[in-house]
Parts: sequence; C-alpha cells; structure tokens
Amino acid sequence: MTPSNLIRGVSKAPVFLALSLILCLASPCEARADTGGARHEALKADSEAFFSDRVTPFINDYCIQCHQNRRPTQAGVNFSPALKAPGHAAFHDQWKRAVARVQAHDMPPEGAPQPSDADRQMFVDWIEKLKYLSEKDPGRFVIRRLTKTEYGNTLHDLFGVEPSIADGLPDEVSGEGYLNSLSPLQLEQYLTIADRVLDRIVAPEDARPTDVQKRLFGEPATPETASPEAAREVARSLARKAYRRPPTEAELDVLVAAFELGRQNDLDYEQSLHLMLKAVLVSPQFLFVTPAVELESGADIVPLDDHQLASRLSYLLWATMPDDELMALADGGTLHEPEILEAQVKRLLQDRRSRALFDGFGAQWLGVGGLESQVFDPAVFPQMTAEMREAMYDEARLFFESLVRENRSVVNFVDGDYTYLNEPLASIYGLEETVTGPEMRKVRLSDGNRGGVLGMPGVLAATSFPNRTSAVKRGVWVLEQLLGDHVPAAPPSVPALDEQDRETVANLTLRERTELHRTNPVCANCHEILDPIGFGLENFDAIGQWRDQDANGEAIDAAGELPGGERFSGPKDLKAIIAGRIDDLARNFAEKLLAYALGRRLEGYDEIVVDELMHEIAGDGYRMQTLINAVVTSYPFTHRRIQDERSSDEQKSAD
Amino acid sequence: MSRRALIDRRACLKGLGVSLGLPLMDAMGWADTADGKAYKPPVRLGFMYMPHGVIMDHFWPADAESFLSSPPTAFEPLRPMLDQCLTMKGISGVPIAPFNGAPHALELSTWLTATLPAADKRSEINIAISADQVAANHVGAFTTLPSLELATMPQNWKENQEGLNEGYYSHCSYRSPTQVVPAETNPRNVLNRLFHKQDQSGDTTQVNALDRSLLDIVLGGARDLRQTLPTTDQRKLDEYLDSVRSVERRIAAIEYRQKEAALEKAGVRASKRHATDSPPIEIKIPEGDKRSEYMQVMCDLNVLAFQTDTTRVCTYIGSRPNGASYPELGFNDQHHSQTHHRNDPKMVEKVAKITEFNIAQFAYMVKKMHSLREADGTLLDNCIMMWGSGLEDGNEHTRENLPFIVAGRGGGSINTGRFLPDTKGNQGDLLTTLLVCAGIPIDRPIGIATKQIEAIKA
Repeated sequence: MTPSNLIRGVSKAPVFLALSLILCLASPCEARADTGGARHEALKADSEAFFSDRVTPFINDYCIQCHQNRRPTQAGVNFSPALKAPGHAAFHDQWKRAVARVQAHDMPPEGAPQPSDADRQMFVDWIEKLKYLSEKDPGRFVIRRLTKTEYGNTLHDLFGVEPSIADGLPDEVSGEGYLNSLSPLQLEQYLTIADRVLDRIVAPEDARPTDVQKRLFGEPATPETASPEAAREVARSLARKAYRRPPTEAELDVLVAAFELGRQNDLDYEQSLHLMLKAVLVSPQFLFVTPAVELESGADIVPLDDHQLASRLSYLLWATMPDDELMALADGGTLHEPEILEAQVKRLLQDRRSRALFDGFGAQWLGVGGLESQVFDPAVFPQMTAEMREAMYDEARLFFESLVRENRSVVNFVDGDYTYLNEPLASIYGLEETVTGPEMRKVRLSDGNRGGVLGMPGVLAATSFPNRTSAVKRGVWVLEQLLGDHVPAAPPSVPALDEQDRETVANLTLRERTELHRTNPVCANCHEILDPIGFGLENFDAIGQWRDQDANGEAIDAAGELPGGERFSGPKDLKAIIAGRIDDLARNFAEKLLAYALGRRLEGYDEIVVDELMHEIAGDGYRMQTLINAVVTSYPFTHRRIQDERSSDEQKSAD
Repeated sequence: MSRRALIDRRACLKGLGVSLGLPLMDAMGWADTADGKAYKPPVRLGFMYMPHGVIMDHFWPADAESFLSSPPTAFEPLRPMLDQCLTMKGISGVPIAPFNGAPHALELSTWLTATLPAADKRSEINIAISADQVAANHVGAFTTLPSLELATMPQNWKENQEGLNEGYYSHCSYRSPTQVVPAETNPRNVLNRLFHKQDQSGDTTQVNALDRSLLDIVLGGARDLRQTLPTTDQRKLDEYLDSVRSVERRIAAIEYRQKEAALEKAGVRASKRHATDSPPIEIKIPEGDKRSEYMQVMCDLNVLAFQTDTTRVCTYIGSRPNGASYPELGFNDQHHSQTHHRNDPKMVEKVAKITEFNIAQFAYMVKKMHSLREADGTLLDNCIMMWGSGLEDGNEHTRENLPFIVAGRGGGSINTGRFLPDTKGNQGDLLTTLLVCAGIPIDRPIGIATKQIEAIKA
C-alpha cells in the first residue's frame, strides 16, 4: 500500500492500513507456508487458473474501461500489459495499489458499475496469491561498482593505506538505494587517488623499496631480470589481487601495454611497473565486481561464479575485498557449496571487519546513521556533544554485533537485557555512578523499560525533533523498521485548525494535541495505531532520558491500547507486546537484509524466497547467523539474471 | 587476446590519441566579433535549487507593474538589481502521478529533467538526461570542465517514497537516463578541481603527461571486457567508457589551455580577455560551519568558474529535500516539517525566512557576477542564472506554479526586469527556452516541453 491511496481517498483508504495492522498486531501471524519447488509449481498453476477465471473478468468488467492501453490512461494506471503478464515484478505495486483502492471502495468510482461485495472481497483476497504467479527469478544483477567505503577499504587491504584516502569521492547511500553509476567526476578522482596511493607506497629515489613495494613488485630488478616477461608476472599477481579473480591473458596484455608505455617514455623498469599499477587502479575490473568467466550466450539466469560470489559475500559482510582464504576457496571452485559457504559466513561474522555490516546496514536500519549530523536544540539538550552521539552510535553497534556474533535470536533486538555504555552515555540511563570512564563496556540492565532498541537512546533520539519527542515518528519507526509495515505519508493538505481552535490547542498537552488526530476521521485510521505506540515510549525524552513529567510539568501518560485490544501501561509492556511478534520481527529483518544484500528493492519472486527463508529461520529459533546465512545462500544472492526479460518496446507500453 | 590483436590495438590507440587533439579548439573558444577586434564572451548557464516551495503570498509579485517598485518580500535580497531579474508565474511542474506519494523524491529529480522516472524500473535510476547536461554536451568541450555540479549537503539522504530509487531524492543532474552526476560538497576539492591542483598541499602539479595515453590503453582493455559481458552488464560498463573518454577530453582541454596561456604570455597570441575585464575573484574558504558562508563560497566558486571560462554550465543544489535545518536563522526546526505549516503563522514565518535566506545566497552570487566587468558589460550580462524550487507550496505539495527567478540577460537573449504574471507553460518549456537563449542547439525539447516561452526572450 502506498501513500497515494491516502491522498486520493483520504476518508476511506486508510482502512486498509488499519486492517492490515490489526491483523498483524492482534493475532500472531500464521506460520509461513512451506514452499518447496514442487509445491511452488502447484501453487503457481492454481494461482494462474484463479487469475484467468476470476481476476481477469473482474478487471475487464470494472477497471479496463478507464485503465487500458491508450493515452492518456487514467491516473497513469494501465491494466493491459499487467493482464498479459500479471506475475511480472513490474506490476506488483500496481496490483497492490489496485487492491487497496478497491478494498477502500475508492474504486471503481461513484457512478461506474460496482462489483458485488463478494466479488470485491474475492479481488482483495486474491492479492495473497499474487506472488505465486511470479516466475522463479533471482532478479537482474549487473556488474557493480565498489561503493566509496568498499573502494577505500579495498585500497587499505591491498596497499596498507588509510581508507580515508578515498574521502574526495562523493558520498553515497548504501544498500537498497545504492546508485550503481559512474561519472567523470569519480573517474577523475580514481586517477588522482591512484597517484596518491603510489606516492604513499613508493620509497623516494635511491631509498630502499618499502615492504609494500616488495610485496607488490618483488625484489628490485637487476638489468637481467627487468624484462617485459617479468613485468607480465608482476601484472599477473597484481591483477589477481586487485581484480579479485584470476586475470585473463588479454587483461595481462593490457597491463603490459601500460608497462611498455612507461618504457617508451623513458621511465625505468620500476617506474613503468608503477604506471602499470596505476592502470590496474583505474581499470573496470578493479572498480567493478566483474565475472571471472565469460558466459555462454543465450543464458538468462546463471549462478554467480565462485570469485564473484566471494566478492559479493566479502563486500556484504566486510565491505572489503575477499581475503586469501575466500580466494583459495573460489580458486578451488568450492565456495558455492552450501556447507562451505555457511562456514565462511560464520568465519567472516566473527572477524572484526564484520562491523561493516552494522555501518552499512544496521545503522541505516535502526536510523542511527544520521545521529552525527542530526540537529538538537543545544539549549534544551546540551548533552548532545559529538562524544555523546558517537557513544549512542557505538551502543547500537556493539549491541547489534553481539547479537550477530553470539548468534542470538532476532527477538533480542526488542527484549535484550543488556547494553553497552560508557560514562557519558550511562548518565542518560542514570547509571553514571556505576559506569565510569570513556570506554564502552557491556552492562546488564535490571530496568525492564530499558534493554533492546526500544529503550535505546540513539534510536529514541533519532526519532525525535530537535527539541521534543515525536510520538508519531516513533510510532512510524516501530511499525516500519521493526515490524515491516508500510505507513503511508500524511496527506499533504491536512485541514487547518481555525483560529478559535488554535487557541484551544495551545492549552493542550502534547498528547491531547496529538489525539486531535483521532477526532478527525482523515487522520484517525493511521494515528489510532501510530500514536499509542509512540506514546508508549513517552517516558523517554528526545534523547532517551527517563522522565515522569513532560517539559511543561505534566505527568507522562504512557498507557495505551492497540487496535487489537492489547493494553499496555508503559515501555516495558509495549516491548513485551512487540517482542511477541517474533515472526514479523524476523521477517522484516530478513527482508531488509536481503534487499541490502541484493542492493535492490524486493519484488515479485523475492516474496517466495523470503517465505522459504522464514521457514528455515523459524526452524532454528530465529537466530541471527542462521538468518544471515539464509540470505547469503538464497537463490537471488547466488544467482543472477543477465537479460532483461522484456523488450524495451513492451516496457514503453507498460509505462 | 592474441599478441597480434594487441599490436592492432596499439596502432588504433595511437590514432585515438591524435583524434583527441581537439582540432576544433580554436573555433570553439570565444568567437571573434565581425570587426575582428574583440571576443564576444560565451553565454553561461547556472541553476540553483531550494526544495519545498515557497510561501505564495511572500513570493509572488502583486502584478507586473509594481514588481520593480514594490516587490514581494522574498525578492528583498535582489532589490538593488531587480532590473537584472525575470520571474514568471504559470510554469507548471511535471504531474507526478502515478507517484503521488513521492512529492519530495521527485522535486529535485524532475527539476532539470522535466520527466518522471520510468514506473517499471523505479528502483533503478531511469529518468532522462537533464537540461544542464544537454547544455554540457554542447559547450562542455570548449572548457576544461564540461560542467560543474555543487551541493551544500551530501547526496546520501535515505528515504524511500513509492519504491523509487533513493538517489532520486538528492540528484538533479543526469548524464544519461541511467547515469547520475554526483555533486561536490567540499569547496577545497572544487577549487583544486577547477585549477587541476592535486592534494591538500595545494601544489600545482602538471597533469601527468602519460595519463591520456594510459587511459587509452585502459579504455582498450575495457572494450575487450565489454565484449565478454552480457548486454545488461555492457550498458553499465558504457558509463565507465563514457567517463574515461570524458576525462581524456578534459585532460586534452587542460593541455590546450596551458599551451594557449603560454602563447599569450609569450606575446605570440592576443588574449581573449579584455584589458578592462575584472581579474579573477579571490576564493576564501571559511573556517567555521556557518551555512551562509559555506553557500557563499560555493557561489564564489561558481562565479570564478564562469569568470575564467573553466566551465559554462553549473548546477548548485543549495539545499536538499528533507534533513535540512537553518540554526543560523535562530531556530532548529527542519525546513520540511515547517513547510507543512497548515497556515500556522509561526511556521509560515519560518518558511518565509528560509526562502529569503536561500534567495539571499543566490542574490549574493548574481550581485557578484554583476560587479565583474566582462567585455562591454558585466559577467552577469553573459549568464543565465536560474533559481527555483521543485514545488510551489510545500504545505500541499502543489506544482502548478513553480517558483523561478532568472537573473542575467544571457548575452542579450533575455528581457529582464519583469514579472510575467500569466505565463502559460511547463518546466520543460522553460528549460528548453533557457537553453535556446544560451545558444544550445537542441534537437529535442526537454522532458514534457511542447514549446518555447517566447515572452522571456529579448
């Protein structure tokens, strides 16, 4: 469901959100279906029959008149291509929006023929079967440019230079929104940074070569050993490391040509090798993760080769190049074997470098990635110094890492009873008496309101305004980031309160004011769910300090009731209710991690992949390593589609 | 690849090197006037952006007649030079259906493309080449930088609207439908890049003499690689090939400029600059983190880049949608949250202040341009500087009358000093018209454009 439904049909559409949330909050979701290959085929056939017998006539009777293959289509919605390929990922959103509109009685519009209630319900229920129409498809995966972080770390691993050598590159978003794009600006920077790397690792003239030089280029050459053949062998070893796969002979020809360019221009042997290294560092094989083997033409879907898999895995968990052990397994052609892959996942996660998974994924997921630059009113919260923000970030990081390394259940994100603090951060908890000094250390928490991300200052601060809390932001955060529900944006034109109202409003508490949402039917449907959750966390101020009164001296009222009837009296109860939704917590985490790992939004067949993952994860107590391993061994992570399955003409008509 | 193939390619590479000598360079510089004495400066195009729209009462002039004498408050910062400015009401934005829930993701990405992202590839970047890059394609070869892209904040805002790629949120420049042009946020890096200095030490180093030949070799290898890849990968690699070629051209242009400068210095050749032209402005990089100072140094860099003809196209994302606040104005609220003001006077006032602040930075830039002599007039006379936003009213996300201010006469192509209250057109029409005024020979309109807006022209 998307916000657009709300903007158009504000009075009715939110019902869909409310219903779906009630379903999720009120009853533990039923166990995910076991969908093995044969079972999937059966479901697919069943779903196809249902689509042509029931859904197609429904669309033809009630929708197609306005939404078909001609310009202009109403609201840009066109069912003609979607009817031909209903399971195509490109149409999933369209179907979901259509169902939401029909369910809200927003469509068909007044005056148009209306379906019976039974038909309407049939169409709404059908959306659960939509996923079975998808072809088995790992999704498109094109050669990927290293991110700024990955590029800096890779230079570090290759040459021992600081990753900050890459600071001049533009900042970029990681994961799902990653822009796999390259511009002249970046290429210019790559060239400059290559020069800088050489400056760092090459000893001054007449000085002894550095260790890095010796490692990369071998012992200083003598007139006898300084041959193009020797340069070729240096190229071979350089390229194998930097390209993260064995180079082809053609690729070595190119590097030797760079070497010879130096020789022709009166550079000596060593200098010409440096020029060759520069060529390596601006080559696409270094800057992108490229396949090691040429593919047979005509294939649509192929498994990743072992070197590509090694890179994909290493960049996911470490944000840097594969190490020797991964490379050896890739060379041996065994990395893709499930038990070997699993052992490598475990090994990589135990390594210090796996903090990259938090920096790249966890921090964005929890929302603490922006804490460093978030604005807090210095008059209200003078404590929010750079050190405090860093401690808050590190608390979230260490907690995340402990769940991963100790292979704990995903539910511990909500009900964990320990955290990591230093003295400044402990003052937020009121524990500054017991925790002293600047180092972060593990602290057991006895207060049931604390522990887990819901009582964590970094998360609470990230979901606040500069000078006060926001029940709405916190409510949205819990639903979207923890439980995986989509909350539509507020309609832009919320009716203004008239002047008289405004005076009344000024005398209300924040809670009373926010509750006005619920007296207005336009707002009520969403806020009935959001606000109680947010208010359940009101005892935590905008930087996560416990309080019994708000800034105006009013007592905090953190009690509430969720639409399913579950009641709570404060953060501790709310935590318990949310921890009870373990299946939703785990599914949401798996979906977000899979999307991050794939660098794209989940769609189409991915839903079935997640169903299968969930089966595996639930079977092992929702443990973090099992979950991460399930993502890494999943079909879309280990395979890729290398053709666009539709021609561009068809895409045009689908617009 | 066999040895023989390598030799073949080397022969081919040699040829490439020659062809990169930019034989048209002489013809591409500032053109001689008819009497053969003075050079006529080229027209430069600048774009500066503010998100979230304006307070309409605060921005729109009452009528055409009073625009110069009693302009609305938003124009106060431009007051001494309103005769150099043009504003128009009635420029509509691209309708954003079916992405109704993505008003902010589309503010910036549609701003210079006048195009919606492809609905069926929404999670990737798939939009259209932007107007600034269309211009750069035509005039970029004349300068050492084809175009310059600046931003106040890093372009890494993470927020998903309607499943659109998050890159749409903070990027306005697209080199091709799938290729984003990132902006620079560090003024020192920009300065180094403009004058090809390396490293923080500030040493001016000669461009590495072998870089171009080296890139030729690498390019050949990349073409070999391309042949082994499936078509989807090939398209991605094409961005790399395009970028390498662009950097090669840039190096060639720098070398050409250096030769030209040497000839001028030796008195062999007349300078294209007039004796009366103002000397290049000085850049002072601020120590603190005051937003106004930061934005002004970025504006200075834009001015300097135009003044020295280092580039003729510049885009400056003065602020990005969401995540921005203005502590300098005495409040910490976020711009976005205040724009949903529901007519609350306090919030309205804050949005008005933020808008005025942004226009003041634009005013700072165009005033500076106006203070610099160039040929028979000022630098601004030869520029088209467009300021604008991607919404009209942030409260309701309307896009029917996008706010735009154009400063500069575009080498005599634009009739300034006016408010056009009843312009009929869309943002594509406006961009198309401005490009035409800048002398860009465009072969197709920008985005949804259907016509030029003749009323703008002189």
